[in-house]
Amino acid sequence: MIWIDGVLVSRGEGGVYGERMLSGARVWDPYRSKLSALCHLGKGVELTNDMRVLYLGAAHGTTVSHVADYAEVVYAVEFAPRPMQDLLEVARRRINVVPIMADASLPEQYAPLLEPVDLLYQDVAQPDQVTIALRNCIFLKRGGTLILMLKTRSVDTRREPGLVFSDTLPRLASGGLPMKDSTWLVPYHHDHAAIICVKE
Amino acid sequence: MMQSYWFGDIEEGICQPYPGDAEALAGRFLSLHTSIDQFIPFDWKVALDCGVCRDRADYISKLRAVCVLIAEKKIREKYKSKDTELLQMTRTLDELDTVINLLTERVVEWHQIRQPSFSRKYRRTPVHSLVRMIAQRSGGGLGRVTGDIERLSETRTVLAREVSARADEVMPNCSALIGGLVAARLLLHAGGLESLARLPGSAIQVLGARTALFSHLRSHTPAPKHGIIFQHRRVHNALREVRGKVARVLAAKLAIAARLDFYRGVADLAFIEQAQARIDAAGEAP
Repeated sequence: MIWIDGVLVSRGEGGVYGERMLSGARVWDPYRSKLSALCHLGKGVELTNDMRVLYLGAAHGTTVSHVADYAEVVYAVEFAPRPMQDLLEVARRRINVVPIMADASLPEQYAPLLEPVDLLYQDVAQPDQVTIALRNCIFLKRGGTLILMLKTRSVDTRREPGLVFSDTLPRLASGGLPMKDSTWLVPYHHDHAAIICVKE
Repeated sequence: MMQSYWFGDIEEGICQPYPGDAEALAGRFLSLHTSIDQFIPFDWKVALDCGVCRDRADYISKLRAVCVLIAEKKIREKYKSKDTELLQMTRTLDELDTVINLLTERVVEWHQIRQPSFSRKYRRTPVHSLVRMIAQRSGGGLGRVTGDIERLSETRTVLAREVSARADEVMPNCSALIGGLVAARLLLHAGGLESLARLPGSAIQVLGARTALFSHLRSHTPAPKHGIIFQHRRVHNALREVRGKVARVLAAKLAIAARLDFYRGVADLAFIEQAQARIDAAGEAP
């Protein structure tokens, strides 16, 4: 990963969403992107140019564009049509972004498009985020990494985020995804936990 | 066991690439049915051996082209349902109302500063006549803004007619029961024709009365009798004693009408006639 004076950046064509540029590189704002926040907290995964990434919940493609600057290929899954229009625009300009319009909780909808990946990154606002992760785990190589951005408020708005978090871990472990590391994304994002697992 | 991938089929180690261009591949993909239990992930080299691509870059570029086409087809499909544009039209109409009201209030305040003797007390001037009067008498910024309000009001009238006509087309049964404009507002609150068709009558009855409903659930204030459907004449003109009953009957019929609209999409005249009679009967004095 590229850091310039403590600022995380990525190298690629700028102007995707009006991001700031720093010595010709694109600033990757931790307050906007959870993956950047994770890196700023020192827990992130080193993205390398031989990595194949499956990105669930790609939304408008802002974080996707940064991941694509580092990785070999990004399979970006998004369901809603409006953000998909923006994501397609990103994909037209970045040759290593493969846009997939499908529901991440139904991997059979897009399985025939995917190859095994090194990193499964999930950031979806759905109640059952663990089931989605476990279902998509078949695309993850053995020894590959899962980064689950657990939106505790999407799971249950009324429950204590800490409880939602602690319920999640045994379910992931019994699905063959034991936790390697985890952190809350404060001060960048609230009620969001990042869980990093490695597939057995 | 045959496995189907985006570029073709593989059966017992023999690869059968699908002929045709990206467009054809996208079309084929949309008709594929994959079972996740039997799915075997593939390596891209399979496609290379299959002769689908020259190298890795070619593989990604071909796959990307197919995926973009698939996504475009799916987006078009999503937007094709006739209710999506009606939603935007109704939202615009409601926002026009808000803007017109805000600007009118402001302009009247402004006019009062220029005319210290002016007051609206004891006058029955309708607001639009007031706006016209201010537009004629004032110059400068005030005159321009007031003129714009008048033009916006004309736009609003035209748009309201369009919304009503479109609602007749998209939801013929609901529109027949409560009129196009109110039907469109119901649609807006439900979030789409499909969601409206899934709502029970009791929910349709209080759609748009969220505050009253939750205050009822939380602190046992009286339950709301009607939400948006109050805007329909048979509800607001009904006698007080039977107003709740009319709202309930109307909402129950609307729930059926919404389902007819979503699943059939054409007016069911026999149903409409029966429903109208039932709603009118509910409105008769006890």
